[in-house]
Amino acid sequence: MEFLTWEVVLNALGEVGSTVLYIFAGTVLLELFVYFLWTPLRALSRRVDGWLDPLGDRLRHLVATVLMAVVVVFAVRAIAVGQTPSPWAPYWPLTVVVFGLGLFISPNALNIFQSELRLAYMLLAPAVVGLLLLVVFPLLWELNVSLTNLNPRHFQSPDYIGLTNYLEVFTKPVLKQVTFFPVLLRTILWTAVNLLFHVTGGMILALLLNRKMRFKGLYRALLVFPWAIPQPIAVLAWRGEFHFEYGFVNIMLQRLGLPAIQWMTDPTWNFIAMSITNIWLGIPFMMVILLGGLQSIAGDYYEAAELDGASAWQQFWGVTVPLLRPVLTPAVILGTVWTFTNFNVPFFINQNELETSDTLVTALFRSAFQYFNLGDAAAFAFVIFGLLLVFSVLYIRVTGGLKGAYE
Amino acid sequence: MKTRLIALVAGLFVLGMVLAACAPVATPTPEEIAEAEPESVEITLWTKEGEADGGLQFVQSLVDAYTEIHPNVTFELVNKDVETLREDFLTAGLAGAMPDLLWTVNDHAGPFTDAGLIMSVDDLFDLDMYVESALAAAQLDGKTWGVPISNGNHLMLLYNKGLIESAPATTDELIAAGQELTTSDQYGLVYNQTEPFWLVPWLGGFGGKVFADDGKTPTLNTDAMIETLQFLYDIKYTSPIVPAESDYDGADALFKEGKAAMIINGDWSLGGYREVLGDDLGVARIPEVVGGEWPHPYTSGVYFMIPDGIEGAKLEAIVDFIHFVTSANNQALMVAKLNRLPALEAALDDPLITNDPLLKGSADQMVVGAPMPTVTEMRCNWDGMKPEMQAVLADTKTPEDAAAAMQTAAETCIANLE
Repeated sequence: MEFLTWEVVLNALGEVGSTVLYIFAGTVLLELFVYFLWTPLRALSRRVDGWLDPLGDRLRHLVATVLMAVVVVFAVRAIAVGQTPSPWAPYWPLTVVVFGLGLFISPNALNIFQSELRLAYMLLAPAVVGLLLLVVFPLLWELNVSLTNLNPRHFQSPDYIGLTNYLEVFTKPVLKQVTFFPVLLRTILWTAVNLLFHVTGGMILALLLNRKMRFKGLYRALLVFPWAIPQPIAVLAWRGEFHFEYGFVNIMLQRLGLPAIQWMTDPTWNFIAMSITNIWLGIPFMMVILLGGLQSIAGDYYEAAELDGASAWQQFWGVTVPLLRPVLTPAVILGTVWTFTNFNVPFFINQNELETSDTLVTALFRSAFQYFNLGDAAAFAFVIFGLLLVFSVLYIRVTGGLKGAYE
Repeated sequence: MKTRLIALVAGLFVLGMVLAACAPVATPTPEEIAEAEPESVEITLWTKEGEADGGLQFVQSLVDAYTEIHPNVTFELVNKDVETLREDFLTAGLAGAMPDLLWTVNDHAGPFTDAGLIMSVDDLFDLDMYVESALAAAQLDGKTWGVPISNGNHLMLLYNKGLIESAPATTDELIAAGQELTTSDQYGLVYNQTEPFWLVPWLGGFGGKVFADDGKTPTLNTDAMIETLQFLYDIKYTSPIVPAESDYDGADALFKEGKAAMIINGDWSLGGYREVLGDDLGVARIPEVVGGEWPHPYTSGVYFMIPDGIEGAKLEAIVDFIHFVTSANNQALMVAKLNRLPALEAALDDPLITNDPLLKGSADQMVVGAPMPTVTEMRCNWDGMKPEMQAVLADTKTPEDAAAAMQTAAETCIANLE
């Protein structure tokens, strides 16, 4: 069909182009503002500091903090109701005024304009604006939605219902019948099983490749292949292979004299199908990382071990594994987070929407975009976010992974 | 140092929001463009019709024909799967960027009216000219929310005369004939085993309904449901006549390849099968349940729905376009091309229908159909039934447990609607 006419294409390009132009113009404005108003603002801030000095720093801090809190509340409310006309709309100018007051009353805030780091601030400004618009703004909006009952029954004018959604994440079924903790346990099981096979499989392949042989590059290229295919395409291809009548897997099973398996309707087999697909997809990454690690281990260690009479098995556990740890740990962490939050595999392989194959992430997606329980889903998303945050913080604490960044 | 940074961040935050708030003003919306030049109207039409059965091509031909008569009205035609259309329309409603016209199924009226996204059509059309039962499936709270395009959308028994001479009249005959026809590479009967839409006709045959008389209290944990599930289990395991696993496409492919003697599928599939099987295609009612009734497949139809907030020249053009599509001529064209029953009362007497055995069969099945509920609670029933039906068919749950679980799930879901 000829839906993609030149007109449509040009329209789309125009929309994207104008958005880019808006962002560009905004950035230029911001830079001009900072550049030209620097000197007058600096002078002004010194004078204001002089006037407000008698108040004392502590009082000024307090008042400024209160005003900033008011700004945040105004801003969140304004964003929340921004989509529909409401009495909150006139608060926009007020927000700006309150913000300005806070800025002037705070004892240190205006020192930005006196600081020697002003060039750094200036250069950072566009990135900060980008992050605020693309990360902080949606996050605050999501927080706001999570406090409402936004769902198909309350679509145009949702009410604020406090923390009810957060309570209900743990007490009510996530989608149809299964509650939060079984889904969480299943997600953990899914992550553990997959990761185990990723690391073992990756390790075996890496060890096989880490020696002198012919066509090594060719083997490596072939083995990395699954990683190079766009994930949804690979997953949909796998789903086809799990088809009961026409799929490769069942045809092979039947040729071997085994009964065909109901991959799409049997809960256990569907979970296994998901795992097989994801293991196939995940091994190449581990293999490449581990191969890199293996190649960096000097041959001297093995020579020394051999002289001491260590068997190959002992060499593996005594030399290879400890020396691989610096490479293995971050790879495992990445793998954990990727598998835990993997969407494509559990979503697409689970063609019949079996609840028994849903992980936290697919359940979240269904709750938000198939059931449109957006309020519930927002709270649910924050709970998942919290889980991953705790995991990351613990991991960073235990391994000191970010030490280099601080020092 | 920290305070300064926070102040800077907060400052930029507010500035960013002010900029963001200003931005949309500068972009003219399509409505404004349309108002500036009342002569030209562009209508974005979302349709659930796909290419496979010629539906999309039919819609495209109508749209082209209309633009030829009214050059000032142009269309952007977008095809979306039924579920995708529902999801995308709700999302578009949240974002405030809805299409101008929907061509979709009746059960979308429930969620769309709940969300307040479509307008009632009572004042825009003389609805008396449409078939009563088609209108009934789009009525909620005393208002009509869609203009019917076709009537039916019901399941029926389609059979391949090359494999079975005449259709079985009762479930006993179905099982007997089915067992004879089921071999290592052929099945007696195929149907979409993953969707409860294929379960409800049998439920009706066993004397059950999904709602109590108030039309919104689920009644899924009943003897009728247990018998229905047991029946579906039996034709798969006890006296197997259906494949161990088959979704819509799987069943469709088997029937088209001549590897299945019978299929339960909807009126939308008639055109496609007629093309493949020709005169070998037969249409009959779904066999009568022994000791029960004729199964009651859900009937509804395909409808135009108009998003809320459409007005002026655009609304006029849309109303005129709907009249055009549901005119006697174009309804007859639809019957010929898509083999669907028309929604326009006057078009029902067309010899195209009365002389065609397939359409006669389809109409005969529709007589024992039941109008599909439109209320949003129905969504909860579907979602409650689907996993349990699959569990029984996967032999992981007994019909009794499954029926009880369906009821609990539907009740929880309805409680969650608020």
